[in-house]
Amino acid sequence: MVEIGSDRPIEGLEALKAPHRSAAQRRAANERILASAALTLARRRRPASSWEVLAAWGRPGLVAASIVLAILAASLQPWRAWEQEVPEPVVVEDGVRGVEVPEGVPAMLVAFSEPDFDAVAAAALLERNGNGGVVPENPQQR
Amino acid sequence: MNAVHEAASPAGDEPQLVARARRGDRDAFAALVQRYSDQAFAVAYGFLQHVEDSEDLVHDAFIRALERLDSLEPGSSFGAWFYRLLVNAALNRRKYLARRRTEDVPMSAAARESPATDSERAELRSRLAWALGQLPAELETIVILHDLEGFTHPEIARVLEIPEGTCRSHLSRARRMLRELLQDYRHRG
Repeated sequence: MVEIGSDRPIEGLEALKAPHRSAAQRRAANERILASAALTLARRRRPASSWEVLAAWGRPGLVAASIVLAILAASLQPWRAWEQEVPEPVVVEDGVRGVEVPEGVPAMLVAFSEPDFDAVAAAALLERNGNGGVVPENPQQR
Repeated sequence: MNAVHEAASPAGDEPQLVARARRGDRDAFAALVQRYSDQAFAVAYGFLQHVEDSEDLVHDAFIRALERLDSLEPGSSFGAWFYRLLVNAALNRRKYLARRRTEDVPMSAAARESPATDSERAELRSRLAWALGQLPAELETIVILHDLEGFTHPEIARVLEIPEGTCRSHLSRARRMLRELLQDYRHRG
């Protein structure tokens, strides 16, 4: 509810008005401002050095670079997480269960990586020579 | 044309003065100081009720304005921008002074009155300054700019960056609050 007379200014408020200042007082106050401003004005008159121009460009550049880096880091996050996943160990036994493996053949049952070529070749030779048989050093003993 | 009207519309040579002051032209800056310092002093005094504090505030506001002149968008009014800066500085300064001084601001204003001649006037000032100080900052600013310094609603709206209608309703509310506060003051004795 609007009180009657609330839209009139408060009586006597002009008592808070600033006192009159003489022309000399006003001039002195303005001179003080201009004296203090001299340094800033001089700085503004001086042409900006190439370093200052570079610095002025550098600030927004730095901000832009930070944003790009943040976006890049955010987009790499799932890739890195995928990369860091520990691979499930491959159980070779499961893989070869359907294949008949002759007994006595030493087999690596669990592997985290491809078998060494030499080991595979050796195993194949052993298999070919028959059930792990070793070629005798003395041929006459055959 | 006085500064109040220039606060509403950046007419005439003001954009050129601002552009020259940006480049460090002393005469251009002096012209801006000359144009706005009286009104700025009156506004500052409305908040601080102290001559020296008000002069210091106006001084600091002009220096700050010069330092930040690059942030003034081309084509916008220097006056409205400068008064905004001044009002914010006045509110901050008063908070700071209130913490520092043992006697409050209205008392220091009243103290400059000759006790024999103007004790009633000093009492009135003290009462009004106290009541104004009780208002929220935005309402107080509107009362000072409108009722004390004669700014129009469109000008105040530009200074405070609020809609004109809000400015009008705030003034009405501020006056109502002031009347209630002054009545309480009377009852308080």
